[in-house]
Amino acid sequence: MIELAGIERTFRVGDEVVHALRAVDLSLADGEYAAVMGPSGSGKSTLLNILGLLDRPDAGSYRLDGIETTTLPEERRARLRRERIGFVFQAFHLIPRLSAFENVELPLVLAGVAPRVRRERVRQSLASVGLTPRAAHRPDQLSGGQRQRVAIARATVMAPGLILADEPTGNLDRASGEEVVEALEALNRQGMTLVVVTHDPALGDRARRRVQMDDGAVLAD
Amino acid sequence: MRSGDVIGGALRALTAHGARSWLTLLAVAFGSAAVVLLSSLGEGARRYVLEEFTQLGTHLLIVLPGRNETAGGAPPLLGETPRDLTLQDALAMLRSVHVQQVAPIAVGQAPVSAEGREREVTILGTTADFLDVRHLSVASGRFLPSGDPERAMPYAVVGQTLAEALFGNASPVGRRVRIGDRRFRIIGVLSSSGVSMGDNLADLAIVPVASAQALFDNPGLFRVLVQARGRQGLDRAAEDLRRIVRERHEGEDDVTVITQDAILGTFDRILGALTLAVAGIAAISLVVAGILIMNVMLVSVSQRTAEVGLLKALGARQRDVMALFLTEAFLLAGAGTVAGVVLAYLGVWLVNMHLQAFHLSIPLWAPLAATLVALAAGLVFGLLPARRASRLDPVTALTGR
Repeated sequence: MIELAGIERTFRVGDEVVHALRAVDLSLADGEYAAVMGPSGSGKSTLLNILGLLDRPDAGSYRLDGIETTTLPEERRARLRRERIGFVFQAFHLIPRLSAFENVELPLVLAGVAPRVRRERVRQSLASVGLTPRAAHRPDQLSGGQRQRVAIARATVMAPGLILADEPTGNLDRASGEEVVEALEALNRQGMTLVVVTHDPALGDRARRRVQMDDGAVLAD
Repeated sequence: MRSGDVIGGALRALTAHGARSWLTLLAVAFGSAAVVLLSSLGEGARRYVLEEFTQLGTHLLIVLPGRNETAGGAPPLLGETPRDLTLQDALAMLRSVHVQQVAPIAVGQAPVSAEGREREVTILGTTADFLDVRHLSVASGRFLPSGDPERAMPYAVVGQTLAEALFGNASPVGRRVRIGDRRFRIIGVLSSSGVSMGDNLADLAIVPVASAQALFDNPGLFRVLVQARGRQGLDRAAEDLRRIVRERHEGEDDVTVITQDAILGTFDRILGALTLAVAGIAAISLVVAGILIMNVMLVSVSQRTAEVGLLKALGARQRDVMALFLTEAFLLAGAGTVAGVVLAYLGVWLVNMHLQAFHLSIPLWAPLAATLVALAAGLVFGLLPARRASRLDPVTALTGR
């Protein structure tokens, strides 16, 4: 359950103050599938960063599963990110020197999970995106679609309730993009809340709920 | 994070940038090796000097004429004349129960000639006890006879260099030589014991002390070597010597008594301090290596900004990121110093294989100090890059701005 109320976020760029988010109210029920859409500079990435606890709003309240996050110390926010949120980035952000298996393992390593438990969970995650045979490959030995599916496996290996995807198909051709979207939608069908940020209308139209943003404000919902 | 995973992760990151890591490791290795090698040089010198001194015997006392301390008061110009240390003073020292043997020494330079060849050497006047007190031995013939020390006798014992210079390969024992304006007969040749305490014992002639005093027309002794009875008697013997001379010199305390321990202790301290100083200078190179670690780590942090952002997005805490980067610096320093210490031991072993007289010797503290300094440098200089990494803002780090 996500509840945003009166979220404000401003940045200083030189002498100018840019309002990235203005009085954003938004609530998402568990298991919802929402697309955040809008032109570039509309504040959709900032919204995603705040949802993902990577950024703090200047004002307003953000309750994640009933926990007020805006006042939490960094340590607790890191823990919430680790346990409840999975990220999928446009640029994949896989660590090039690690194999697919090790990249997926990373959140478990950071959480201090025992190696034996880790192995089984990574195997399941990779299997769910159909990449078991590619486990030992490094990112540079994988195609773009495969890389993004590794990133999805990594985002889900901790079994979070919320998946945040920032332009997940932005760097992919149509066929690979289709595979990736299907993998994400499969997660949503299993009950995970899915928020996709995109300016691709075709991708946005697939979501059950569309949040239209412009100039830091929610225009339509 | 588990510590095993932290170390594993740091290792993966280091091996991913092979050349950079190897070069840094090399710098640390050279720094550590320098510390160990230089201190082994100092320690080798210390041992060499101590060994030379112990050759003199460990319960040796040396009595020098003249006082080495001033008690203030009137300047010595007014009436106080330095008194000679005489042969009679030396013989009186035997009255102490703590004294075993006494070897008075008179020294001068004089030309020694035989069969048309001449050589200017040190002439040492002493008694039969000198052989024992200095732990010397005779290669052929015999040493000075023990008789009345106050009687001049025309006997001389020569060192090997002098013997060869005068007589070539022929045996010098029984030959006659001229020392100054007097004639002597050679009765023995010293075994070569090389250079000891700065005296070249191979290039001198030893004559009875009374003969030397007559030769140089000087009743004063250069010094008196006294062998005490056992190490425990050393201090009481020194006290007795001072008392005996004071009684004979009308209450004037005008000799200096040096114990072997005092000389040893002084040299030990000087050379020990020198070793530390040299090791300290070498340690500077380790600090330089530490700065290199910092440099490499800073480059690493800026190249891996996106990675740090990702780790934070995946839930890494500040201290996890910090631990990862600090461990990298620590591993570099640790592996480097281990390699350096091994290198140093190898170097010392090689040098000692080829050197006879002087041996390098690694003091136990040197590898420990080198390792500690290297690890400390790794930690201290790793701290800044690690902090910088741990404080990166995940949003800007991820977008690579």
